[in-house]
Amino acid sequence: MEGTKASQAKIKIALIMGLGSLSIILLFILSLTTGVMDISFTEAMSGVWNLIQNGGAHQNNQELVLWYIRIPRALGVIGVGVGLSVAGAVMQALIRNPLVDPYITGVSSGAALGVTTAVLAGVTIAGLGIFVTPIMAFVGAVLAFMFTMLLAEAAGGRSISYVLGGVIVGIALQSGTTILMYFNADRLHSVLYWLFGSFSTLNWQSTTIIVLCVSVLSAIMLLYAKEFNVILLGDEQAQQLGMNVKRFKTGMFVMVSALTAVCVAFTGIIGFVGLIVPHLVRMLIGGDHRLLLPASMVVGANILLIADIVCKTAVAPSELPVGAIISIIGAPFFGYLMIRMGKEYVM
Amino acid sequence: MSCDDELTVKVDNLSFSYGAKRNLCARTLKGITIDAKKGQLIGIMGPNGCGKTTFMRCINKVLKPQEGAIYIDGKDLDRLKMMEVAKICANIPADVPDDFHLSVEEFVALGRYPFVTGIWWEGAKDEELVRDAMKAYHVTHLKDRKLGELSSGEKARVLLAKGAVQQPKILLADEPSAHLDLKFKLQVMQALKDLSRQGVTVITASHDINLIAKYADLVIIISEGGIVSYGPPAEVINEDIIRAVYGVEVSIIRDNGELYVIPLRPADPEKGDDEDTRPCEKGIVAD
Repeated sequence: MEGTKASQAKIKIALIMGLGSLSIILLFILSLTTGVMDISFTEAMSGVWNLIQNGGAHQNNQELVLWYIRIPRALGVIGVGVGLSVAGAVMQALIRNPLVDPYITGVSSGAALGVTTAVLAGVTIAGLGIFVTPIMAFVGAVLAFMFTMLLAEAAGGRSISYVLGGVIVGIALQSGTTILMYFNADRLHSVLYWLFGSFSTLNWQSTTIIVLCVSVLSAIMLLYAKEFNVILLGDEQAQQLGMNVKRFKTGMFVMVSALTAVCVAFTGIIGFVGLIVPHLVRMLIGGDHRLLLPASMVVGANILLIADIVCKTAVAPSELPVGAIISIIGAPFFGYLMIRMGKEYVM
Repeated sequence: MSCDDELTVKVDNLSFSYGAKRNLCARTLKGITIDAKKGQLIGIMGPNGCGKTTFMRCINKVLKPQEGAIYIDGKDLDRLKMMEVAKICANIPADVPDDFHLSVEEFVALGRYPFVTGIWWEGAKDEELVRDAMKAYHVTHLKDRKLGELSSGEKARVLLAKGAVQQPKILLADEPSAHLDLKFKLQVMQALKDLSRQGVTVITASHDINLIAKYADLVIIISEGGIVSYGPPAEVINEDIIRAVYGVEVSIIRDNGELYVIPLRPADPEKGDDEDTRPCEKGIVAD
């Protein structure tokens, strides 16, 4: 007896999660060693151990740097990697188009415009404090997603409509951001730096929000992994298998916008992660979302950790914007997919 | 066998209209009444845009008719939840989603979705049914292949396996053989016939009059939203009705209770002027 399909899949998941988490831990420590101050791998490990034991009370300068700068940053990177990858995989299933991700559909740009508005126009909502940024990002993300969907559906709802619709919405929203910046040139620097996509501003406050939101939202999406398989059949077929498609899709669109928004709100636009990661995982282990979603999480976290380490070390002591680095890899990958899939059905 | 007389689909004076907003599509159903028994294979015929697809969408509750009632397996469709409908009524889609790297086995297993009780995984019984269905439709050797790598004939068999694994009492198949060559057309129709002999009520729409004539127990001819004729193929299909409905002159050869329809030419153009009533269907990718 070779065992049931389900038990084989469970073993696969355990393996992927186990190996993936191990490599995340190694990269996490490695990431703690990079930066202006020299901290070796063993020092980083013992530093983290001491900090855990002392509940964050630092005993020397190294631990101070680890606690206030490097640990929250590395944790935030993991959170954003998980969040963007899951958001990409979920978006691809909902739109039934493997060429989309939060960046290509304009959702990231919407979130960015929301944040820019908040920062530059000085939107303050009483009692919300630090939550103004993620909330404005969320509003922008949802609106952008709605615009893209309306455009794409009006154009026939085909695969390529969402890519083109997203590009149009993305350009429009980016222009909005540019105009806002043009009229606020004096306060430009903070926004510009953030817009490039950067992890350098992450602190405990933002990291806590990222990790909490990403954990909750990804967990909910994981619960519905089976439903994402069904939704691939198309709305009508899914409905005929007993799913409440409308409710499911609306709920997921809101959640995926929120997931994108919380990632964009603190680290800026990091494009293509949501496109590349699910694709790589599909090529390796197939398209069943019960494997795809958890595997995308660990792969996404690994890839962003590596990207962040590269950004911190390539031109040290200066730092490269991670959004730009990912896009340098992501754009050709997107082109490759476009050519391959265009031959199959887009044309 | 008394259970043979069991009515599985009862449609009573059904009327459906897409409403003023979409009147460009001009697709409505008017006063449709049919009774389908357990184990019957019912073929729906009619020109493009006559309402065949609309009718089938009403039966599985995707569309809600304005008037009339539908009963499936003795229950009022209006009162059933989608999940309950899914346990009675399966549907064979026109195509598979082929760019998401789903394997054949994973795809066939989706037919068990209405029955899976766990959060994530199919149970051992579901997996057994999936294995049996893959065996019955000769796709076991393809089980780890991706859907995108299959030929049209293989896809057709995989789609049938997914329909069968749902263990439906009613199976709807809209143009199940449209893109297939002759051999696979016959194979698909034979598979539907076999399912009906196992007690499933199969309702299929097709433009291939000869296939319908060969395999269907009953034929429904729909034109402009209403039933023009309803009965066994040999009684229903004749030169006059084909001319009236399709606007085509045909010659029909009858031999041993079988009939063969040979299309000759379009009928007198003045009568059947080609007003395009083709549906502007949403979500259907061009073929």
